[in-house]
Amino acid sequence: MNSPIKKIMVYIDGSEQSITAAQYALCLSKFTGADLMAFYVINTKALDDLLKARIFLKEEQMDYERDLEEDARRYLNHVRELARNKGITIETRSAMGNVHREIVKIIKEEGFDLLIIGELSHIRSRRDEFYDETERAMRVVPCSVLIVKDEDSVWEHYESLGK
Amino acid sequence: MALVDLISSEVVKVPLTSDNKPAVIREMVQILKDSGKIDDFDHVLEAIHKREEMGSTGLECGIAVPHAKTDAVKSLTVAIGISPEGIDFGSLDGKPSQLFFLMLAPPNQSGPHIEALAEIAKLSRSTAFISTLINARSSQEVVELFRED
Repeated sequence: MNSPIKKIMVYIDGSEQSITAAQYALCLSKFTGADLMAFYVINTKALDDLLKARIFLKEEQMDYERDLEEDARRYLNHVRELARNKGITIETRSAMGNVHREIVKIIKEEGFDLLIIGELSHIRSRRDEFYDETERAMRVVPCSVLIVKDEDSVWEHYESLGK
Repeated sequence: MALVDLISSEVVKVPLTSDNKPAVIREMVQILKDSGKIDDFDHVLEAIHKREEMGSTGLECGIAVPHAKTDAVKSLTVAIGISPEGIDFGSLDGKPSQLFFLMLAPPNQSGPHIEALAEIAKLSRSTAFISTLINARSSQEVVELFRED
């Protein structure tokens, strides 16, 4: 039987959970031989919403957008370094827009068959307003989703990978 | 990091006792000081005032969202306060603000900061929920309103 996993996307949002997800994705890529891409979305939709809601001023919106662009560079560089340390090939990419829509778009366009995300909030809210963007992505993507938990165990697996 | 993860009874105050903008900002920052979320009260106060000088964060529908980037916190931090009588916060519609979300983020965590603020922006469109929050009688009731039973 062929591996059901050929193209993996790991979503990076700058959280520790998403970095753990990247370590797990690297392990999985190594064992399955699947192609791996790390994806970061600069959430300009949220910035626009904050401007419309007048929580942000225009100069604040621009300032935060620059911050997010820098975050994208920093975190994707970090994931590239994690991959390089273990001799694993990874593609990194960023986009701007609505987080869950950009994730769905690229998964459909490029035929990813697995999305890997970091652990979600332990606390459930009764309100849809409190679904975060990663949770929204999990609900709407057309492919299977793997939620990575247990940071310590994942770190051990990652560390045990040969170069 | 979801907004609901940041909310516990220690960072919620019902009711606020201040009756003007500078005082309520101090009272909100004091919530974070008392709950051990910040050490440097004055530094945080200055950051919030600096942002407010650029333009009031008093929105419509009785909500105000004073916020700032500051290295006085190591992670995204929020305080919630409710003033049933309302306080003049220079809001967009000229009405008193009753529900206050004070949010602080370290400079290198803009992503979570923006997502949490965006959740508040979405929340502000839900007038029924806002009304329920404003009528909450205790900090624990506010926490329970945000969480699933």
